[in-house]
Formats: sequence, structure tokens, C-alpha cells
Amino acid sequence: MGRIVLDKVSKKFGDVEVIPPLDLTIEDGEFAVFVGPSGCGKSTLLRLIAGLEEVTSGDVIIDEEVATQVPPSKRGLAMVFQSYALYPHMSVRKNIAFPLRMAKVDAAEQERRIDAAAKALNLTDYLDRRPGQLSGGQRQRVAIGRAIVRDPSAFLFDEPLSNLDAALRVGMRLEISEMHERLQTTMIYVTHDQIEAMTMADKIVVLQAGVIEQVGSPLELYNTPCNRFVAGFIGSPTMNFLEGDEAAKLGAHSIGVRPEHVAISTTDGAWKATVGVAEHLGSDTFLYVHPTDGGEAMTVRVDGEFSARHGDTVYLTPKAEKIHRFDAVGLRIT
Amino acid sequence: MSTRTLPRLLQSPAVLLLLVWMLVPLGMTLYFSFIRYVLNSLRRPEWTKPSLSNWRGFGNYEFVMNSKDFWFAIQNSLFIVCSILFATVILGILIAILINKAFPGQGIVRVLLISPFFVMPAVNAVLWINMILDPVLGLNGLAVAGINDLIANLQNAPLVGGFFSLWPEFEPISFRATQTSAYAVIMMVTWQWTPFAVLIFMTSLQSEDQQQKEAAVLDGAGVWSQFRFLTLPHLGRPIAIVVMIQAIFHLSLYAEIEIVSRGNGNKNLPYLIGEFANNNIGAASATGIFAVILANIVAIFLLRMVGKTLME
Ligand SMILES: Nc1ncnc2c1ncn2[C@@H]1O[C@H](COP(=O)(O)OP(=O)(O)OP(=O)(O)O)[C@@H](O)[C@H]1O
Ligand SMILES: [Mg+2]
Repeated sequence: MGRIVLDKVSKKFGDVEVIPPLDLTIEDGEFAVFVGPSGCGKSTLLRLIAGLEEVTSGDVIIDEEVATQVPPSKRGLAMVFQSYALYPHMSVRKNIAFPLRMAKVDAAEQERRIDAAAKALNLTDYLDRRPGQLSGGQRQRVAIGRAIVRDPSAFLFDEPLSNLDAALRVGMRLEISEMHERLQTTMIYVTHDQIEAMTMADKIVVLQAGVIEQVGSPLELYNTPCNRFVAGFIGSPTMNFLEGDEAAKLGAHSIGVRPEHVAISTTDGAWKATVGVAEHLGSDTFLYVHPTDGGEAMTVRVDGEFSARHGDTVYLTPKAEKIHRFDAVGLRIT
Repeated sequence: MSTRTLPRLLQSPAVLLLLVWMLVPLGMTLYFSFIRYVLNSLRRPEWTKPSLSNWRGFGNYEFVMNSKDFWFAIQNSLFIVCSILFATVILGILIAILINKAFPGQGIVRVLLISPFFVMPAVNAVLWINMILDPVLGLNGLAVAGINDLIANLQNAPLVGGFFSLWPEFEPISFRATQTSAYAVIMMVTWQWTPFAVLIFMTSLQSEDQQQKEAAVLDGAGVWSQFRFLTLPHLGRPIAIVVMIQAIFHLSLYAEIEIVSRGNGNKNLPYLIGEFANNNIGAASATGIFAVILANIVAIFLLRMVGKTLME
């Protein structure tokens, strides 16, 4: 079990309110991802759930029980830190055994659980090494191993992959997703990486300045962002926004269209533009174009085959049904 | 000229200087320890000049080992050094942890804590033995007198008087006595050197990883487990440094021993060397060589022990 409910939770550091009162429910077995710009309070929120920070007001409810006053070790949650936070003086085996040892689990049972975790995480050959003798990916796996052996009711991850290189990150991402499929345990995962959020989450929570902007499945957020912030934050490259006449024509204060929802042609289309920089990724090319009427620069995603050079003139046509409309305060118009 | 030669050439004066610096005194000590060499002898005036013709072999060593204070001095040296190490390391860790947390007036408290370290050893010894440990005029004497007065007054009190009249009159401890002078030295040196330990441990505590602690909290570790499994291993190296440096310093304590009791009941090897050196340089040199050997044994032994117990 691991249903976590935040009931009007708020947090102040001194006089600074980092998180205004906030409600959130994470269902048992769900993979929830917190995303948001740096400093928006993702880590703070996670630490409030873990009990490493005290809430200023409101309640954290874990499995229908108010856990606000429960000490971190009694909440049954396991956390994986960005810096791994392994114990440097202990071998991998002792690191993984530490929570069991603290819980006074008997030796045979400890052995069994460590072996199971080591096997699942491919750590069997490294059990007698010190953390300092492991690569970043292996250290991350040890940190996860230390979390798994406790059999927690939920896992909390704070940007666990941000110290790894790109290839390893993809690998670990898959491993964590697979682990979630296997264990079916609640996971809360903090990241500022779009792709991690989109690929791993059952539910994404978009935060800005401590406020939840939107909660939903990855596709919900992608297809129907409820405001301009979410629209701009989810999706890569980010959505193009247009204001003024173009927006007014559609009865909105501003409109947004994703780079992949703009058709491009060299002969005719709705908007005329000149090509600035072209980024060739192989399968796709991102064109940064400048409308000839002097509007904001836009990004367009075109097929890798499309050839365009700096200074070429192109014509853009947004797909009408994929245009998002926003009002003056940035809320979505449906 | 190969690329190596020039650097070697440039280093050589420093290396030579260091070699001379270390080897000459050691060589001379060794030389003196194998010959008969005294400062004054009416009977054998030829012994007052160091010369190979006065060769005595291991005679000086035998003489020293058979002298009545030698084994006592070794034992006492070890006792004093180990007690000081034990006390400074434990006090150092406790105080360092205590003042590592932020509190108002932290800066001043830290400076005050460090200040004993800046007192000269001889001054430290004089202050302690006269102002604190003196059985009449020192804090020791005054405190015991105060307690005795209090008890005397309470004996006249109604109700509890009967109980207190069973109490004896307390005697202040004389720290210049044969049995206690070593404790006096241990106390004053501990007071002086605890700041050194605090300083080193405090620096180390500040570099401790806070996320490890948080991870340990989530893993269910209490305050004691965090200390035992995280802080103490983290302090392993600083403890080794404190132990090493202090062991070497305290094996050569002299001023305190001289001032407390002039070696009465409390000699260590340097003090013994000093006594021999009043006349018998050969015996003093042999004792010096014993001191070098002892220092090496102690250093190696302590390093091993600290390394083993803390690094698991
Ligand atoms: N202990 C603290 N004392 C005071 N302010 C804090 C403290 N911890 C965090 N903050 C502030 O709270 C805000 C949110 O911090 P938090 O670490 O939760 O951000 P984040 O979303 O995790 O950012 P990042 O993506 O950079 O990790 C920041 O403005 C930060 O300065
Ligand atoms: Mg963070």
C-alpha cells in the first residue's frame, strides 16, 4: 500500500513561503513525476512527504493515516538522492544491509534480501566493494538497492539520474520503469528532464513557484495543457506562441502551436518566414525561422529529408485542430 | 644532460640540508651511546672527552636498563601519553559535535575554546599546579574546604543533621605527591591539547555530507547509530592525525613534569635523559635511542589500532 495525500500542505522557510497550501493525491501503485523549473519547490515537496522537512501547516496522509507528526523512519518510505548519499566507509553489501540492520532484521533474512536486490540490480559482483570504487551508474543502483530491501510503501526519487551521462540515463530510466512494473509500488519521481517525465509517468505534476499548475497523464498535458505555462513547459522543443492579430483572428489573447504541428512548404502557406538556424538531428530537423512580418521567432519540426539553408524563404501552415488558444491571463480557452 | 638531472641537481641542497639536519644529531647520539662519556670525573679524566678509545659497546644500554627508574619511566611515559590521547580524543569529539550546531555567540565560544592552546606549557603547568590543584590555595583546596564547611554547618541543622554527622571530613588531594603527580600532568596537558583535537574534528565535521545523514535517518538510524556508523568513520582520519601528532609531542613532555614534582614519582624517558645528562652523556644518549625506538613503536601501534577500529 502507498496512497499519499497532501492536505493543504504548505512550507515556509523563515518568512519566505516556498509552497503555498497545496492539495495532491497520489494513488497506490502510481508513478508520479514532479516537474517544474529550478527552484520551484520540487525537492522541498518530496522532503515534506519524506518527513525530512516539517510542514508549516496542513497534513501529509499516508495510507489513510495522518503522518505529519510521524518521524521519517516510521513513514515506511524510501528515498533515493541525487548525490546517491551512499555510506562511503561501508561496502556495498553493508550499505544495502544498513536499513535492515537498523530494523534488526535477522541475519539470514538480511542475506536473502540483499542477494535478491543485488541480483535484480546486477550488483552481485560488486557487493564487497566500497562506493568509491564504483561507477556513477553502479552507485545509483546501490542507492536503489538500499531503498528496495526495506520493502517500502513508496519510493521517493530526487533527480536520481541527473549525474549520469545520456546513454546511462536512458538505461537507468528503463530499469526504474521496469522496477515499477514489477513491484507495483507507488513512486514519486522528481526531475526537470522532460523526456523522463513524459516516458515514465502515470501522472505528471507540473509545479511553478510551489503552486501546482496541472496534474494529469503525460498525453493529457501534451494535448490539453490548461495554461500557457504548462503548454510551454511540456513538449520539446517548446511550443510557439503568437499574440496580436493572429491570435485575435481566433478570438484569443495568444495562441500556441507545437513545432511538430506546423506544416512547411517552399511554395505557399499561411505565414511567410526566413530560415535562421537549422539543427539536423538525423530523423528530424529543427528549423528556427523568423516570420517576415517581424513577429517572434518560431521553431518548426520538419522531416530529416527536408533541406533548407540559412536565409531560404519558407511558408508555414499550422494544423488548425492543433492550435491551443489562451486568454489574457494565460488560461486555456476551450 | 638528461631531463632528470637538472631537477635532481636543484633539489639536492635541500635534501642534503635535511639529511645533515637529521642524521648528524642521530649519528652523534648513537656514537655517544656506545662510548664512555661523562662531563666530570676526577677519577677517570680521559672519559670527559668523547673518543673511540673509550668504546663501551652496549655497556651504556645495559647500565640504563638496569638503572632503577628506566622501566618505570617507560611505563609512566606510556601511561601519560595514552591517558592524554584517550581524554583529548573523547573530549575533542564531544565538544566538536556540541559546538558544530549553530548557536548565538558561536564565534566567541570557539575562540575561547581554542585559547588554552596558546598558553606556553611551562606557564600552563605553573597555573594549574598553583592555582587549581594546590591543596591549600588552589581551587582544589578551596573547593574541599567549602564542602567541609557546608557539611559542618549542615551537621548543626535540625532533621538532616544526624545524617550529615556521619560524613567524614574531606581531604584535598595533593597533586605533588608521588602517587598523584602523573594525574596532575595528564590533567593539565589534556586541558591544553583538547582545543587542538576540537579544532581538527570541527573542521572535519563541517565537511560531513548532510544527505548521508538524511539517508540514514530514513533508513531508521537513531542519533547513536548515525554517530557510530557515519560520523565516527568520517572522523577516522582526523583522529589518526590527532593521535599521531600528540603521541609524538607528549612522549617528550618535560616542563610539566619538572614543575609539578621535579620527577618525583613521575618520570618519563625525556626526564630520565635530563637526569642522566647532568653528568653521564653516554647513558643519556642510550636512553635517547630507547626513546626513539619507543616513539616508533607507539606510532606504528597507534596508527594500526586507529585504522582498524574505525574503518571497519
Ligand atoms: N533550507 C532552506 N532554507 C531556505 N530556503 C530554502 C531551503 N531549501 C530550499 N529553499 C528554497 O526553496 C525553494 C525551492 O527549493 P527546492 O530545492 O525545493 O527547489 P527544486 O524545485 O528542487 O529545484 P531544483 O530543480 O534546482 O532542484 C528555493 O527557492 C530555495 O531557495
Ligand atoms: Mg531539487
